Amino acid sequence: MMTGMERLQAVMAGRLPDRVPVLCNLLDQGARELGMGIREYYSRGENVAEGQLRMREKYGYDGVVGMFYVAMEAEFFGCRSIVYADDGPPNVGHLVISRPEDIETLQVPEDFNEIPRFRELATCIRIMKEKLAGNYPVTCLVTGSFSLPALLMGITGWMELFLCGDPALREMLLEKCSLFCRRQIAALRGAGADLIAYTSSVATSNIITLRQFHELALPTIIRDLDGLGTGDIIYFNGGGQINPHLKILLERTDLRAFYINPFDSLSEAKLALDGKALLVAAINDIRLIDWAAEKIESEVGRIMEQGKQGGGFVFSTLMMPLAIPEQNIRVMLEAAYRHGCYHQDGT
Amino acid sequence: MGDAHLSAYYDAVFDTDRDRALAVVKRALDEGVSPEEVIFTIVVPCMEKMIGGMMTDSLVTLSQHFLASQIAEEVADTLIPRFKTAPEMQGHIVIGTSFGDFHGLGKKIVSGCLRAKMFQVTDVGINVRPERFVEEALAVGAQVIGISSMMVHTAVGEHGPRRVRELLREQGLEDRIRIVVGGAPYRFHDTLYREVGADAWGVTAIEGADVIARLIREIRS
Repeated sequence: MMTGMERLQAVMAGRLPDRVPVLCNLLDQGARELGMGIREYYSRGENVAEGQLRMREKYGYDGVVGMFYVAMEAEFFGCRSIVYADDGPPNVGHLVISRPEDIETLQVPEDFNEIPRFRELATCIRIMKEKLAGNYPVTCLVTGSFSLPALLMGITGWMELFLCGDPALREMLLEKCSLFCRRQIAALRGAGADLIAYTSSVATSNIITLRQFHELALPTIIRDLDGLGTGDIIYFNGGGQINPHLKILLERTDLRAFYINPFDSLSEAKLALDGKALLVAAINDIRLIDWAAEKIESEVGRIMEQGKQGGGFVFSTLMMPLAIPEQNIRVMLEAAYRHGCYHQDGT
Repeated sequence: MGDAHLSAYYDAVFDTDRDRALAVVKRALDEGVSPEEVIFTIVVPCMEKMIGGMMTDSLVTLSQHFLASQIAEEVADTLIPRFKTAPEMQGHIVIGTSFGDFHGLGKKIVSGCLRAKMFQVTDVGINVRPERFVEEALAVGAQVIGISSMMVHTAVGEHGPRRVRELLREQGLEDRIRIVVGGAPYRFHDTLYREVGADAWGVTAIEGADVIARLIREIRS
């Protein structure tokens, strides 16, 4: 039987593994696993590493997640207040940018390892790397420069700026966010990340038009990743649809792995990528809250049927809400392991 | 002429060009189009056309909705005081994000659309406790409470719409006040609104205005 890393390496190299690699983004569930509150759980990298490792062992999927919560990137950029909940991910409680002048004075951290909260994340990654011994990949998340401003100034403020605001101010912010993004990727790789999920939720086709994608978002994606090497980078949908951008990204960037949204058509994505890139498809995991076992089974079967033919395919989730019953997580994963098996003829 | 203004205004909003959209409004007023006609034959029909675009071919995006709503609110705030007679308001809604949720974009878009469509809107902000929604609805005489949630736990949690429903029930207000919800979790799960105790949800922010109008009609009938 192959390890998760071997499966991932096989599909990335264009070979067929024993079954479709299965990733499952369980985050806050780690706190429940350790019997801790969310705030206590995320206070230390050791806790998150232990939670991630226990959940991978328990459910048997093919990798772990090297991230705490999305709002943590705002902390790296100077956010002073994070609001914790008992039943979901922490939120940004203080906007780093509340006035135009804040953009001018915004400081991009030189060395991420000097940021206490980043050191907790790095500790988490290093522990997981050591314990997993190269058998299962650690995937980290980085927000692209076109979406990072939403964490710093709120989505409303960012939308006002990029739609109607001062272009020079917008460009200054994007440049700083791009530098932040590039330094964070380097720091995560330094800590041992095997895969980087590069996400730009504001750049999705639900939020911006194709023209805006070409004129505003695409140049930032190119700049964020320029010269960094993309062999370990997966372009993640961040909760919005990205199918209309796949061909453009394939042509204009070196990205060769794309993680589509449940509302993106899987067959259209396969057609757009034409075997030239790895395709990661996510189940609509919010529905796992109350879908019956039969429905979960049939939905997993449908995704596998459409995606696995010919290889180059990974089954995954979005950011699994804490409200999903444990039994439904098991049903989904067992169905994925079963439906994802490859026969000798590649079917 | 009205169609030409509508077409030019829609194109500007579709291109997310705020200055061009406001220039169309100014030109219409300069040419003698009344403030009432600007709102009811240009601004509101543009929003309705955008709903059509979103529902039929998914070509309309959130940034376009946002801009359409922002401009609509701005134009309505400027022109309503210039109406020949005070407009008849369709109803009153108290709107905010659920407790623990700091994402105000959807609420802002809905508010703009509602103001342009002659609703009174009381915006209670972000991270709103259930009790505050009910207190404010009673204080201003609102028929609808609108609760926006961007995250699953703020939509389904015990301090979200579910608690607002309980409060309405406990206080015997269910026949006077309806609950409408919106936000990302409901897009991924189209029956979730019922599970959290809401009467309805809007697929898009702009469609929310029609849903709210329907709920108010129900109460008044």
